[in-house]
Amino acid sequence: MMLHVKPILSSLMRNKTGPLLLLVQIMLSVAIVANASFIIIERLSLMQRDSGVEETQVFTFNLYAFDTDTDIDLDKQRQRDLAAIRRLPEVIDASTINMSPLGGGGSSSTFTVGESQETSQYAPEAPIFYSDEHLVNTLGVKLIEGRNFYADEVITSGGEAPTLVLVTQVFAQKTWGDESPLGQIIYMGEWGDYPVKVIGVIETLQGAWVDREMNDNSLIFNVPMNGAFHKYVVRSDLDNIASLKEIIPALLHQDEPNRVIKGFKTIAEYRQSAYRAHELMATVLGMMVILLLLITSLGLAGLVMFNVGRRTKQIGTRRALGATKGDIVRFFLVENYIICIIGGSLGAILALQLGEQLMQLYSLPILAPIYPLLTFLGLIVLTTIAVIVPAQKAAMISPATATRSV
Amino acid sequence: MLAMKNVSKIFKTDLVETHALRDFNLEVNEGEFVAVTGPSGSGKTTFLNIAGLLEGFTQGDYFLDGVNISNVSDNKSAAIRNEKIGFIFQGFNLISDLNLAENVEVPLRYRGFNAKERQRRVIEALEQVGLAARMKHLPSQLSGGQQQRVAIARALAGKPRFLLADEPTGNLDSLMARQVMALLENINQAGTTIIMVTHDGDLARRAQRNIQIVDGQVCDFSLYQGQDLSATKEAHQQVNIANKPVAV
Ligand SMILES: Nc1ncnc2c1ncn2[C@@H]1O[C@H](COP(=O)(O)OP(=O)(O)OP(=O)(O)O)[C@@H](O)[C@H]1O
Ligand SMILES: [Mg+2]
Repeated sequence: MMLHVKPILSSLMRNKTGPLLLLVQIMLSVAIVANASFIIIERLSLMQRDSGVEETQVFTFNLYAFDTDTDIDLDKQRQRDLAAIRRLPEVIDASTINMSPLGGGGSSSTFTVGESQETSQYAPEAPIFYSDEHLVNTLGVKLIEGRNFYADEVITSGGEAPTLVLVTQVFAQKTWGDESPLGQIIYMGEWGDYPVKVIGVIETLQGAWVDREMNDNSLIFNVPMNGAFHKYVVRSDLDNIASLKEIIPALLHQDEPNRVIKGFKTIAEYRQSAYRAHELMATVLGMMVILLLLITSLGLAGLVMFNVGRRTKQIGTRRALGATKGDIVRFFLVENYIICIIGGSLGAILALQLGEQLMQLYSLPILAPIYPLLTFLGLIVLTTIAVIVPAQKAAMISPATATRSV
Repeated sequence: MLAMKNVSKIFKTDLVETHALRDFNLEVNEGEFVAVTGPSGSGKTTFLNIAGLLEGFTQGDYFLDGVNISNVSDNKSAAIRNEKIGFIFQGFNLISDLNLAENVEVPLRYRGFNAKERQRRVIEALEQVGLAARMKHLPSQLSGGQQQRVAIARALAGKPRFLLADEPTGNLDSLMARQVMALLENINQAGTTIIMVTHDGDLARRAQRNIQIVDGQVCDFSLYQGQDLSATKEAHQQVNIANKPVAV
């Protein structure tokens, strides 16, 4: 099969404008599409991460005690509240929590670890949950090593520092590597201050910030939050959540009517709001990618159609001189592959450059070279499709056109 | 080498059927130089296109080198055009984006020759028409007569057995027309069969054999003009010898 690249190339060089415009279009398309699809895939894989929580079964809500001057023991009241909620037949478990996983706001901190003052160093920053022995079961997180808190280990007299902690696998791996985390000590603040002992390891639990890398490093301490503001977390079957939104406030108001109970939201709903911006971004970028590819292939098909029209007599003459229909189709394919390969390669280089700029400006991860490569290959496929239809039309031009047309 | 038996060609459009050729019969022998004349619309180009396998026909048989090519495939007829037939067009039909060498090379590429063989034949063909020195030029940089000579070089480069020319001098002034005609006579003398459609009676008379197409059928001069023809024919042959092409 003869491809005849050389005369096609020199004929392109003598007629630069149209092909050059197309080449620039292809170059920009590859650069933009490669980066956009990289960002889309990044976002989608962020969205795919497991929070560790039974998201559809777990909801949280807030309580505001607006009459803080009374001498109600809030600690006791919380324990009564939670016991009453747990007694409800629809409820699997309930607990108190300081922030909703994927909720967007809450507590995080950095801790010190090490054998001695001299060798001490910071553990990675981690989202921190303050709760009791019911949280593991309420969230539905999996304890893979060690044990949960015992009820009598939970420190209920508010304001005291925690003594025990459950760590996520990710946190343990980052902090102690292959060493067993069980029995390790983390210090709140400087080395030596407030030692907290690791007694259990949780497979996965995400904190409140879906955009922060530390979100998988969560820790659970054995101190429930105390004060006029509370957040409770409840796990129940999906079907009962709607009715619990009515039942629970009524139940709690029996104990103490002077408080506002609201803000019921499942973790699944938190996930939706947390990733709304990402979803929007992915959708907009996805549409942009499709649009760009569409415009590029229309541009290609348009140029080929224009050229077929312009070269009707030339095609007839080539057929008269012995070109087969296949030769004519190949002629247009080769011509546009040349444009596509040059434009695509330049575009791939531009894509990497653009990726580097984006990384520096918006602290995005660096563009993996596979993206420009795949975009380039995709473009070759697209070129084939966009060119083959008008090229086949060109192949149907009769050889008699050579003598008939003016 | 070429024989048409009762060939008919009907062009059908929505409104009309045009009988471009009707029971067309013709034989052309190896080495002949045939000039075809006739009124406009009589079917000259149609005959040439069918002879050159540029278009099919409705009825009849066409033998080329003894082979019935009435039903050959599209690819096969492309190969026959490429190997056996050289075309010369009224409008030259050079490809404007390609230089002269690349233009002459076009049929050689479809033939599958290697680069060296192509190069050799391109130079040889362009030398034959006296334009080898300008092979890097674009067609637009040449006069009409020169362009037609390049087109002739392109037709010759594949060493075809016969040349088909549809009004090759139709777009040229009389001086250039005579130069091109001289070149064709030269080529014919070297053994290539030529069929040339022309409106120019003077040029037609320089050919060995004249046929006229009227209303889609052949009117051989000999049938209508008897003796008169043989007299003119001799005279033309003398002109031929006298006009042996020198520098073109
Ligand atoms: N593609 C076509 N469709 C319909 N009719 C056609 C087509 N090509 C040619 N014809 C008709 O066939 C007849 C013969 O045309 P042809 O071109 O062979 O004539 P011609 O002798 O070459 O004329 P001219 O001297 O003007 O070139 C004409 O009536 C023409 O209109
Ligand atoms: Mg004609």
